[in-house]
Amino acid sequence: MGLLSILRKLKSAPDQEVRILLLGLDNGGKTTLLKQLASEDISHITPTQGFNIKSVQSQGFKLNVWDIGGQRKIRPYWRNYFENTDVLIYVIDSADRKRFEETGQELAELLDEEKLSGVPVLIFANKQDLLTAAPASEIAEGLNLHTIRDRMWQIQSCSALTGEGVQDGMNWVCKNVTAKKK
Amino acid sequence: MRLKRLNIRYYPPGLILEYEKKGQEKSRCIDLLHLTPNTDVSELLSEIKRIEPLITDSRTDQVKAMIERLQEKLSQPDERHFYLFKVLQSHILPLTNVAFNKSGSSFITGSYDRTCKIWDTMSGEELHTLEGHRNVVYAIAFNNPYGDKIATGSFDKTCKLWSVESGKCFYTFRGHTAEIVCVTFNPQSTLVATGSMDTTAKLWDVESGKEVSTLAGHSAEIISLSFNTVGNRLVTGSFDHTVTLWDVPSGRRIHTLIGHRGEISSVHFNWNCSLIVSASMDKSCKVWDAENGQCLATLIGHDDEVLDVCFNYTGQLIATASADGTSRVYNSETFQCVCKLDGHEGEISKVCFNPQGTRVLTGSADRTARVWCVKSGSCLQVLEGHTDEIFSCAFNYEGDTIITGSKDNTCRIWR
Repeated sequence: MGLLSILRKLKSAPDQEVRILLLGLDNGGKTTLLKQLASEDISHITPTQGFNIKSVQSQGFKLNVWDIGGQRKIRPYWRNYFENTDVLIYVIDSADRKRFEETGQELAELLDEEKLSGVPVLIFANKQDLLTAAPASEIAEGLNLHTIRDRMWQIQSCSALTGEGVQDGMNWVCKNVTAKKK
Repeated sequence: MRLKRLNIRYYPPGLILEYEKKGQEKSRCIDLLHLTPNTDVSELLSEIKRIEPLITDSRTDQVKAMIERLQEKLSQPDERHFYLFKVLQSHILPLTNVAFNKSGSSFITGSYDRTCKIWDTMSGEELHTLEGHRNVVYAIAFNNPYGDKIATGSFDKTCKLWSVESGKCFYTFRGHTAEIVCVTFNPQSTLVATGSMDTTAKLWDVESGKEVSTLAGHSAEIISLSFNTVGNRLVTGSFDHTVTLWDVPSGRRIHTLIGHRGEISSVHFNWNCSLIVSASMDKSCKVWDAENGQCLATLIGHDDEVLDVCFNYTGQLIATASADGTSRVYNSETFQCVCKLDGHEGEISKVCFNPQGTRVLTGSADRTARVWCVKSGSCLQVLEGHTDEIFSCAFNYEGDTIITGSKDNTCRIWR
């Protein structure tokens, strides 16, 4: 994945390719999710300083997933990656209740971004394997997801660690990207 | 015409003649691209005197001494071992490209953090941070050989022209409608050329900051561009599988070089402007006649996409970098593969020669850069330390310092 491959993935994707942007606060599990999608080893994952890109095949689509670091100091750079996004996946650590407000704020700002207007958003209520995890319904309510009217959205509970719920979320992505691309 | 001064040029070997013609100061050069330590000096000398009227009998001894000096430089043994000198950590996101100025006294780095930084090579200190772009700074260039200006091309669709001394922005070139991914100055430093994902290239006037021309004709993204040594021709390589040769003064298309069956990744002229080399995702490189646009040869052998290609300073060798994890060196006159550089454990995204043409430097996704001996094809050194893939690497003019730029947000100086 040299610079050249990045340029190729930057192009607006042809019909069978989908550009997915994976965002969320640091330690939410974005990279684990990415590796789970690509069926890679998830035992040694460190905070993402920049970004990771992986391509996975799903239901006839080539999903080009961009996993962007979520630490506070590099969040202002998320917009580097907005161009040509087909689907936004927003990952939330369901057990980190202290940061629900912060994550809600970041999500609201993303949904206000002009370059992401109308882009379908999937919210992964991640880390459901933890006992202290809040259920997806509670998070949906806390984030006022029902007020989103300008795009398709979905919340899916999952565990990137065990893989549970991940495929359901990706099914939703493929279904809704079909609607948009056609 | 009166010869005023004679200067020596080490890489590629040559003599620069500064002379006066009708009251105007001019200069031209005698290229000695085929010079070796074994070249017969007196034979060469009489040949030079035959074709160059400025070299008169009174200058003979001086020219002879200069040629011998060049030969001495060429025969110097190159046994340098590179050590990590410094890790530069002030970019907060992955680096894109790196570049030295002509003398190698400073270099620049572009980054996803939207800045370009100027560094002092000796100390590793940061001299300036060029701030102002609103997205990734992808392409960077010094106006070599002068080295007093920098051009940066960004995903924000603009190109900026900066002062090296003050770090201030002179101009912002606006007009492209998509990411700018390649940028270069003409050799006279009067023009900046930008190539964009919007399928066009543009020429900009360095003095006035105005757009000079738009080079339209490609049907897909322009990925690479390069001026010839004279500065009257520009070549562009595109994802549309073609290479286009442009006339710089008029902005007109001279030739479209058709033949590759995949996207173009890199294009270059050789030093004497007679050849163009192109690398492609079709796993091959092609060498083209820069005059008539005919394909002279297809360099095959790689098992996967060719991601980068370059000439050495004299133009006699071509090095390739491939996603198959190997590099190859070809002779640009016979088109034969001279050696295969085998050892990297991931794709190679960048390749370059040292100015002497004795070493090849490769940067790879396997997190290492490697130094190779052109003569034997053997790996002399593995530069280890980066914690993520290497996107870019470069030799300085002396060939005694290397910089590497990585996705791990750092730049490393090796010497």
